[in-house]
Order: sequence, then C-alpha cells, then structure tokens
Amino acid sequence: MDIIGTILWPIKWVIEAILVAFHWAFTQIGMDPAAGITWVFAIVGLVLVVRALLIPVFVRQIKSQRRMLEVAPQLKKIQDKYKGKKDQFSREAMSRETMALYQKAGTNPLSSCLPLLLQMPIFFGLFSVLNDATHNKAGVGLLNLDLAQQFAASTFLGAPLRDSMSTASNGHVVWVAIVMIVVMSASQFITQLQIMAKNQSPEMKESPMYKQQRILLYILPLVFAFSGFAFPLGVMFYWLTSNFWTMGQQFLVIRNMPTPGSEAALAREARLARKRQRRGQPEQEEIAGGDGGTVVVDEPRRTQREQPIGKNRAKQAGKKKK
Amino acid sequence: MSGLSRAARFVWLLPRNVCIGILIVYRRIISPLYGDVCRYYPSCSAYTLQAIQQHGVLKGCFLGARRILRCHPWAAGGIDDVPTRAVQRYRVTRFGFVSTMGQGKG
Repeated sequence: MDIIGTILWPIKWVIEAILVAFHWAFTQIGMDPAAGITWVFAIVGLVLVVRALLIPVFVRQIKSQRRMLEVAPQLKKIQDKYKGKKDQFSREAMSRETMALYQKAGTNPLSSCLPLLLQMPIFFGLFSVLNDATHNKAGVGLLNLDLAQQFAASTFLGAPLRDSMSTASNGHVVWVAIVMIVVMSASQFITQLQIMAKNQSPEMKESPMYKQQRILLYILPLVFAFSGFAFPLGVMFYWLTSNFWTMGQQFLVIRNMPTPGSEAALAREARLARKRQRRGQPEQEEIAGGDGGTVVVDEPRRTQREQPIGKNRAKQAGKKKK
Repeated sequence: MSGLSRAARFVWLLPRNVCIGILIVYRRIISPLYGDVCRYYPSCSAYTLQAIQQHGVLKGCFLGARRILRCHPWAAGGIDDVPTRAVQRYRVTRFGFVSTMGQGKG
C-alpha cells in the first residue's frame, strides 16, 4: 500500500461506516436501497456529521471574536499607527504587532489552519471510496462489494453517481453536473460576498489584501466550474451540501455576531433599536456591553489628581500637545 | 566560481526552489480564498516558506508540518518565528527563491 493510501485508510473506513449507517437507516424507513436519492441522502448525512463535529471549533472562534472587544482600544492604536502605510514592511510590522497583542491578551480571533487541512483528507477519502466503487472494488470496511456496486450504479435523475462530466455515460450526467456547478458557484459566491461586503471593518477594506480578495471573488466560480468536471457526482453532492452548510452558518454569524465596526454590526444595531421601539422600551439601553455591536474606545482614565502648575508652564504644555 | 560548481549548486538548490515555487503560487492564489486564518505570525505558509528557504526541503517541511499541527483552535497563537541558522549560506531573491551567495553579480 502506498503512503497516501495508508494515511487515507482510517478516514475511508469512517466515511464508509457513516455512509452505510445512513443508507441502512434510510432503507429502514422504506426508501429503495438501490435508488440514487437514498445514497445522496447518505452523503448529505455524512456532511451533517462532519460539519456538526466541527461546530465546537467554530463556536470557539466566535467566542474569541467576541472577546475582541476587550482589546479593541489597543487594536485601534496599532491601526492608527500604520494608517495609510501600504508598503509590505509596514503591513508585516502591523500584523506582527497585532499578533503580539492577541498573544498578550490571551485571545485570538483567527480560526487556525489545522481544521482547514483536516477537511481535505475527508474530501479525498470520499473521492477514493467512490472511485473504488466505480471500479467494482469493495471498500476498506463496511462498504462490501454488493453495497459498493449498488452505490456506484445508483442514479440520480438518470445520472449515475460515479460519473463525472468528463466520464459522462449519458446526457443526464452533463445536465445534473452543470446545474450543480452553477448552484455550487452561486452558494460560494454568496458566502464570500456576504463576508466581504458586510462583515469587514473599514480598516480591513482599505488594505491591499481586500482588493486582492475582491478580484478572486469573481474568479472563484470559474475555478469551481472547471474542477467540477473532474469529480464524480457523488463527491459533488458532498461539496454542494457542505457549501450550503457554510452559507447558513455564515449567515447566522453575520446576523447575530458581526465583526465590530462592520456594516453588519450597524445593521444589527438598527434592528435591535427597531425591536426596542416596537416594545416601547427606552432607546440605547444596554447596547454598549452587548454582543459585539459597538466598540467603545475609552479615553485613558486618569486616576491621579493633576498637580496644579504655573501659568507659564501650562502654556508650554499646551503648545506641546498641539 | 566556476561554471561547473555553479551548475552543481543550481541542481542542489532545485528541489528547494521547486517547493518555494509551489508555496508562492499557493500563497498568491489559494490562500486568499480562506482569508486570514492563521493564529500565528508569520502565518503557517509564510513560516514554511522561510523554513524551506533557510533549512532546505526536508527540515523545512518538517518544521512546517510541526507548525501546522500547532495551529489548532485551542492554541494561543502569537509570534512564532522560524529558528534561524547561525550562518546564512544562501541569498534570497526578490521573489523568494534561493540562490548562491554570489559576490557582486551573483
């Protein structure tokens, strides 16, 4: 067995177990075991399990984003310091200082790289499971030869799940694939657009990286359409469902816990204000301490009484400040 | 430096530069799709890039992999630079590729 196969083996085993379990459950409630829709539902079930397992990771990220309010004043200071400086070195120095601030405060709003990488083997595992089934090979675990053949041969709207656009055995495959590519690109596009248009602070929108992201926003659907050719329909169903999940999750987050200072945060405040008005509550009740609606940048509080100074010195100090 | 040893150097540095090329393409095209994700500075891909530049493919990839394993949701994050070498043996070009320490017109 090659190295990649060895790494994928446990992942494939788990994927097969989840698929077969869902398939069995749907068959128990009276669905046709050989029908494509049953297997599609099994794939949807797989997505739900995987994404549900990732919820704690996501919640953790949201929580630390809320704690960002505590470091907002210092963050603002750093941003002001580098305001208008767009060269590479200033940018790097700025992100270094920002990161040092997070480290000192013990909070970090970023999601980390490992979960992103962990999703990739799942995707390839599913691809490999389907690929084996296509070649009439039994899986590594619970997906025995009968089930594998049944899975591969099952059709959704006349299109076998094992086919991709490049290996299409009939016209149905092409149509199903095209519709899925369009829906997939659309959902991805909406998700990205939501984040970028509504959930970015003005400082972020000024950075050169934001412009780069904007360009990619329009190239992305093309990339998806192109890679959609190569993947079998079964894998594309996984991808599509996963995209929908992300879209919904993102919508909820942007609506309820927007990035402080972003458009979405203002929209949320307006919504809350309307709600209070409808209920006849006084305005501006507990908005400042709320769920990340506003950033309150406190003036540095002076605890010590200022010493009285002479007229001349006061004048000098005044000049210095200006 | 003679032509032969220069060619040997080029071949010796080739795997390193191929990996650097892949990482540069990743950082330009794929990484922006995710937005800001990494909990460290420099980010995981920048760290791996620097590690490969300084330590070569094998050690660089090892350092990079270890870093990615450290970049999980329960990690504190913060500043985490690549361990530096005592002697800098190679020159890094403007694009990030590695070449020999040429004097003058290297």
